[in-house]
Amino acid sequence: MTQATYNGVLNLAAGAFLLAAVLIVWRRELRAIVGLLAWQGIALAAIPLTEGIYKHDAALIVVGVIVLLLRAVALPLLLIRAVGTEPHERRESTPLVNTTTSLLITAGLTVLAYAVTRPIIALDPSPATRAVPATFAVILIAVFVMVSRRRALSQAVGFMMLDNGIAATAFLITAGVPLIVELGASLDVMFAVLVLGLLTGHMRRTFGGTDLDQLRELRG
Amino acid sequence: MNATIGLAGHTYLTYLATALQVLAVIVGAPFIVGGMRQVRARLEGRAGGGIGQPWRDLHKQLRKQQVTPQGTTVVFGFAPAVVAGTALLIAAILPLIALGSPLDPAADLFGVVGLLFLGTVALTLAGLDTGTAFGGMGSSREITIAALVEPTILLAVFALSVPGRSANLAAIVSATADNPGHLVSPGSLLAFVALAIVIIAETGRLPVDNPSTHLELTMIHEAMVLEYAGPKLALVEWASGMRLTVLLGLLANLFLPWGVAGADPSVLAILIGFVAITVKVAVLAGLLAAGEVFIAKLRYFRIPELLAGSFLLALLAVTASYFFATPTN
Amino acid sequence: MSLLLLVPIGAPLVAAALAAVLGWRRLTSSVTVLAALCILISGVILGFNHGSGVRFAIANLFRADALSITMLIVIGTVGTLATWASIGYIDAELTHGHTDARGAKLYGVLVPIFLAAMASAVLANNIGVMWVAIEATTVATAFLVGHRRTRAALEATWKYVVICSVGIALAFLGTVLLYFASLHAGASSGDALNIDVLLAHASQLDPAVTRLAAGLLLLGYGAKAGLVPFHTWLADAHSQAPAPVSALMSGVLLSVAFYALLRVKSVVDLAVGTGFLRTGLIIVGLLTLLIAASLLVVQTDFKRMLAYSSMENMGLVAVAAAAGTKLAIAALLLHVLAHGIAKTLVFLGSGQLQAAHDSTRISDVTGVLARSRMVGVTFLVGLAILLGLPPFAMFASELSISRALAGAGLEWVLGAALLFVVIAFAALVRNGSRMLLGPPDAGSPAITVPRSVGAALVTGVILSLVLGLTVGPLLELFQTAATLLGGTR
Repeated sequence: MTQATYNGVLNLAAGAFLLAAVLIVWRRELRAIVGLLAWQGIALAAIPLTEGIYKHDAALIVVGVIVLLLRAVALPLLLIRAVGTEPHERRESTPLVNTTTSLLITAGLTVLAYAVTRPIIALDPSPATRAVPATFAVILIAVFVMVSRRRALSQAVGFMMLDNGIAATAFLITAGVPLIVELGASLDVMFAVLVLGLLTGHMRRTFGGTDLDQLRELRG
Repeated sequence: MNATIGLAGHTYLTYLATALQVLAVIVGAPFIVGGMRQVRARLEGRAGGGIGQPWRDLHKQLRKQQVTPQGTTVVFGFAPAVVAGTALLIAAILPLIALGSPLDPAADLFGVVGLLFLGTVALTLAGLDTGTAFGGMGSSREITIAALVEPTILLAVFALSVPGRSANLAAIVSATADNPGHLVSPGSLLAFVALAIVIIAETGRLPVDNPSTHLELTMIHEAMVLEYAGPKLALVEWASGMRLTVLLGLLANLFLPWGVAGADPSVLAILIGFVAITVKVAVLAGLLAAGEVFIAKLRYFRIPELLAGSFLLALLAVTASYFFATPTN
Repeated sequence: MSLLLLVPIGAPLVAAALAAVLGWRRLTSSVTVLAALCILISGVILGFNHGSGVRFAIANLFRADALSITMLIVIGTVGTLATWASIGYIDAELTHGHTDARGAKLYGVLVPIFLAAMASAVLANNIGVMWVAIEATTVATAFLVGHRRTRAALEATWKYVVICSVGIALAFLGTVLLYFASLHAGASSGDALNIDVLLAHASQLDPAVTRLAAGLLLLGYGAKAGLVPFHTWLADAHSQAPAPVSALMSGVLLSVAFYALLRVKSVVDLAVGTGFLRTGLIIVGLLTLLIAASLLVVQTDFKRMLAYSSMENMGLVAVAAAAGTKLAIAALLLHVLAHGIAKTLVFLGSGQLQAAHDSTRISDVTGVLARSRMVGVTFLVGLAILLGLPPFAMFASELSISRALAGAGLEWVLGAALLFVVIAFAALVRNGSRMLLGPPDAGSPAITVPRSVGAALVTGVILSLVLGLTVGPLLELFQTAATLLGGTR
C-alpha cells in the first residue's frame, strides 16, 4: 500500500464517518438511523484496518476485525431488535430541535471541532491526525443528538455514535490505546448497550412506549 | 497556469469561442427544456410534444399582443430583460466551450453567483410588483429558497477551488482537468452532491418545485410569473431555460472538465469543446428528467431541511478540502 | 505484599461468584460482608506497612500509595456497613413481597461486583484500567438502581445510565488524549498511561493537548461525581435505589470518581501549572454548591434531600481540591471518610422509614424520634454529622477546608461556599426537625428495624464518634497522601 493510497483511504473513511453522522441528524426514521450507524461502524473499522495493512501490524488488523464485528454488526442488530414492530414506533416523533436548525447547529459544531483540535494536529502533523477534526466533530454531533432526541432508541444511537467517534479518535491519534484498555472499553460499550436495550424493553412494558417525554415523574 | 488568460490581445478564436457559447445557449436552451420534457413524457408512457415544442411555444408567444397589468411599475417591465441579460452574461463568462473568455477577469465565483442572484431578485420583485396574492406568495417562497441556495453554491464551488488556490472558474476547471484524482476526494464528492441539490432548487425542478404544475398553491417559480403574457412571458421562459442550461453546463465542466478547449484554442478545439459541452449538458439534463419521474415534490416546509442539509454538505466539503490536503500537494 | 493488593479486588469477586451460583441466602450475603471487611482490613494492613511508600503489583498495573489506601479504607468501611445492613434489608423486602428471589439474587451478585470495581479503580496504576473500573461501576449499579421495577425507578435508571455513560465516554477521550501527549513526551507505548510514568514525564507533556484532556476528564469524571453540568442523574438515582445501595453510591462511589480527578490533577498540575484545573474546579464546585443548596430548599422528598446533600458535599470537596494545599487535601480526605459513614447512617434510616410509610415524602413522616429510638437517634446523629456539628469529624474537616481556602488566597471562594453551605444547613435543619422532632401524627405506622440494619447503624454511630474525637493514625496517612498529590504547604 503506497503512502498516497493510505492517505486517500484514511481520508475517505473519516469523511464517510462524518457523513454518516450528518445523515443520522438529518433522518428521523429509527430503522434508517440504525442502518446508518452500521455504515458508520464499517467506516470506523476501516481506520485500524488501513493502518494495520500500511504498517504491517497484525494486532491492529485483529482489532479492526473485532471492531467491525462489534460495531457494524452486533450492536446495530441489538438495537434493531429493540425497535418495536408497531408502525408508529418506527418514526421519531418531532425532535426537540427541528431538522433545519439541527443541521445548521451541526455545521457550527463541525467548525468548532476543527478549532478545538488544532493543538492535536500541531503536536503530530501526520495524515492520521489530520483526520481527527472529523472524528471529533462526530463526538460533538453525537452529544447534540443525545440531547435533542425524544425516543429512547435515538438516544441509544446517539450514545453509540459518541462511542464510535471516541474510538475513531483513539485509533487515529495513537493507533489504539493499549490493547487491554481497548478491550475493556469495548466490553463496557457492549454492556452499556445491552443495558440500554433491556431498559428499553422494560420501558415499553411499563410505560407502553419509549417516548422519553413520558419520563417526567422525577422533578425538582 | 496559463499566463495568457485574461490579458489583452485575445486571439480572434477566443472571441469566436465566447460568441459560439452565447449563441449555443440562446438557441439550445429551449431544446434542453424540450428534451427534458420529452424524456419525462416517454418514461411516463406518453408521446410528448417533441423536442422542438418549447421553440414553437416561444414563437407563438412572441407573436401575441403585449399585455401589462394595471398598477405595475417599470420593475415588472424590466424584470424579464434583467433575467435574460444576466443569463446571457453568465453564459459568456463561464468556461463552457473554452477557457479563455475575454470576460475572464470577472469570471470568478463571486461574480457568477452575484449575477445569478440578481436574476432571482429581479423576478422576485416582479412577482411582488403585480400586487396579487399568488405573486407575493411565489416571491416569498423563492427568496426563502434563495437565502439557503446562494451560500451553498458559494461554499460548494469554493470547496473545489481550494486545491487550485484560485476562485477563478477557468482556473478551477483547468486544475481539475490536470489532476483528475481530486475528483474522488471527499471534498469534491460532497461538493458535487451539494451543488446538484442547489441547482435543482435554483432552477425550480422537482423535488423543490414542479415546473409543470397547474395548482397555484404548489407553485414557486410559476406563481411569480403568473401575470406575464406575450413577448415578456416568452423572454421569462427563455431566460429560465438559459439559466438551467448554464448551471448544468457549470456542473458538467466543474466535475467532468474533459473536452474543454484551452485558453488559446484552435478551431478544431473549439468544435470539440462545443460538441463536448452539448453532449454533457444533454446527458445531465436527461438524467435529471429521468430522476424527476421517480421523485414526488417535497412539501414546502420540508424544503429548508433539504437545503440546510446541502449547506452542511457544502460546508463539510470546504473543511474536507482544506484539512485533507495531502502532503504531495 | 503484592498479593495483598489483589485481595480487595479478588475477595468481592469470589463473593459475587458464590452469589451467582447459590442465589440470595444467609451464606452468600454473609460472605459479601466478609469480602467488604477484607477490603477494609487489607487497607489497614497496607496502611501500617507501606503508608509512606508506593507498592506495585502485576506489571505495574496496580499501585498502593497513601491515597489509594485511604480510599480503600473508605470503601471498606462503608461497604461493610452497607452490606451488613443489606442482609436484613433484602430479607425484609422478600417477606413483604417488594422483590422476588431473582431480584434478590441479582442484588447479591451486583453489589460485590460493584465493590470489586471500586477497589480496582482506587488501586489502579494505569489510568486506563482506572477508567475501565469506573465504567464497570456504572454498568454494575445500573440494575441496582432499578431494583424496585417501579416507573420512577426505571426513569432514574435510564437517566443514570445515559448521563453517566456520556460522562465516562468523555473521560475516555480525555484519557486517550493524555496517552497521546504522553507518547509524544517520550513514554513507551506499554506504560504511557501509568501514573508513575506520567508523573515522571509531566513537564514534557504538550500543554495545549493536556489542557484539552484535562477539561474532558474534569467533565467526564465530574459527571460520575455528581458535579455540574452532568449532575441531573444524582437525585433520581440515589433516591430510587434501595437504601444500602444509595448509601454505597452516595457515600463512596462519588468519592471514588473524585479520586480519579485527584489523580489526573496531580499530573496536569505538573504539566500546565495549577491555574487551569484550579479555575475549573472552582467554577464547577461553586456551581454544584449553588444548585444543590437551591434545590435543597424546595425539597419535599427526604431521599432526594439526602442525595442533594451528597451533591453539596462533593461541591465542597471540589472547591477544597481547587485550593490544593496539603491542609486542603488532608481535610478533603477526612471529609470524604466522615461523609461516607454519615450518609450510610441517614440512608439506612431513611430506608426503614420508606419501608414503614411506603412513601418518601417529608410531609408523611413525623415524630420519628418518638416512634423509634434506633432510627430516630441514628438519623439525628447522621444529620448532625452532615450539618458539620462538633464533636463529629465533618466539623473539623470543614473548618480545615475553610482555613486552607483562606490560606490559598481564595477568600471570595470561601465566602461563596460558606453562603451555600449555610443555605443547605438551614434546609436540612428545617426538614430534619420536621421529620424527627415533635409528636408523631395519629395513625403513623410502626417502624421496624431488621437486626442487621440496626447493628450496622449502631456500629456506624460508634465509628463516627471515634473518628470525631480522634483521627489517630489516619492523620499521617492523609498527610502523606496530600504530599503525594503535590500539595505544597
